[in-house]
Amino acid sequence: MLGRSSGPASLILASLAEGAKHGYALTKDIESFAGVRLAPGTLYEALGRLEASGLIEALESDDRRRPYRLTATGATALSTYLRSQRQVAEVGLRRLADSWGLA
Amino acid sequence: MTTTRRTIAPGTRGGEPHDQGQPGAAARRARLLLRWYPRSWRARYGEEFTELLIADLAERPRSWRRAADVARSGVLARLASAGLAGHPLDPAAAARSGLATLACSAAAFGVVGTAMSSQLAIGLQWSVPGDHYITVAMDLMSGALLVFAVLALLAAIPVAWAAIAGRSGRRAGALLRPAVLVSAGALILVVGGRHFGNGWPGTGGSWWAAHGLVPSGVAAFGWATTMSVSSFWAHPAMLAAFPAAERAWMVLSPAAAACLVTGVAQLVRRTELSARAIRYEMWLAGVAGAGMVAFLSGALCWVTAGVAGPQRLFHAGTVDLAGLAVLVVALATGAQAAQQARAAGRATLAGQAGQAGRPWPTRTPGR
Repeated sequence: MLGRSSGPASLILASLAEGAKHGYALTKDIESFAGVRLAPGTLYEALGRLEASGLIEALESDDRRRPYRLTATGATALSTYLRSQRQVAEVGLRRLADSWGLA
Repeated sequence: MTTTRRTIAPGTRGGEPHDQGQPGAAARRARLLLRWYPRSWRARYGEEFTELLIADLAERPRSWRRAADVARSGVLARLASAGLAGHPLDPAAAARSGLATLACSAAAFGVVGTAMSSQLAIGLQWSVPGDHYITVAMDLMSGALLVFAVLALLAAIPVAWAAIAGRSGRRAGALLRPAVLVSAGALILVVGGRHFGNGWPGTGGSWWAAHGLVPSGVAAFGWATTMSVSSFWAHPAMLAAFPAAERAWMVLSPAAAACLVTGVAQLVRRTELSARAIRYEMWLAGVAGAGMVAFLSGALCWVTAGVAGPQRLFHAGTVDLAGLAVLVVALATGAQAAQQARAAGRATLAGQAGQAGRPWPTRTPGR
């Protein structure tokens, strides 16, 4: 469901899973937990796609920085995506441990 | 109540939002960067994006990566706004934009195609080609142009109907300018085309172009309206020998064609078309696409045949090769626009169905 832009999209959804955030807060949060700094154009490109897909929604704001929030559909999509990624990670780690002795 | 977590951005005091005026250099640079994006995007995201850029500029005053990223993203947003890329802000508007871009592509194809086929028609007025390729090319090209003319008329009907039906509403003013552009452009082209068609190089040849499908009157009109598509621009000395009126027409006719096409594109973008009308236009676009491929095949047949004929009447020159390139680009652009318009039309329909099937307005938690 996250499609080709799953990289920035999953990072944004994971950040918003904690609560609503505006653009700058998203950038800093993603940088802190993923070590990736999303450039402004990339961030808003992904925000637009996620909003159009109904995975996030914009909230009313009393200043110029509009916050975004995860929708129920977005939470489900993120959960599905992360579970599949976890399965891939578990298989990869197990095989690395078996064949290469790397944990 | 929202659960917004406020992060203190650089350049803010005590977590307060930026000063609304933001007279600093960062604000100016942010506004400059924002110009990469189309107006509709700026209207939706402009303020918040500017705030993010100002904060980013405060942290990293010089960053070519940021500039390149904003430029790339802005161009993508512009393509989406023109119906040439996915994920537009408004699917209904994107469907109309796709149709408008398709109309522009078809117009470019039509102008260059007419110029190429009129050149062949002149040759056929004076000579019977010994090579089969030329007659096949002319049949394909003139047949495709005839189909284009019919399709253009069929495509105009629902747009004109919707424009007339909506003329008393709020959008009446918005439709006036494109309507004036279309009328003025068409009038100039028809009057000028009829006038300068009298000087057609095929005049005096056979009444019906030998082995072609184009009557000489139509060929003369096509030649006159596309006189500006010429290699003479690259030879100023030869161009200077043309009568002043013809030179003026070579400048005026493309301007008139641009007016006509711009007006049509604006009409399509500003007219509220029903989902049924969009589906109908998409069907016509499919037929037009097949016609473009047929025309292109004919043009390729002629250009690659390498037959010059007597007095080089069928010679394909550099301008024809450039014309072929324009045809290919127009076909590719039109195909992309049609694909995006179709997808946007489906998204619009899905959105309408979703709203119709929803019993109550949904309330989001926490709002």
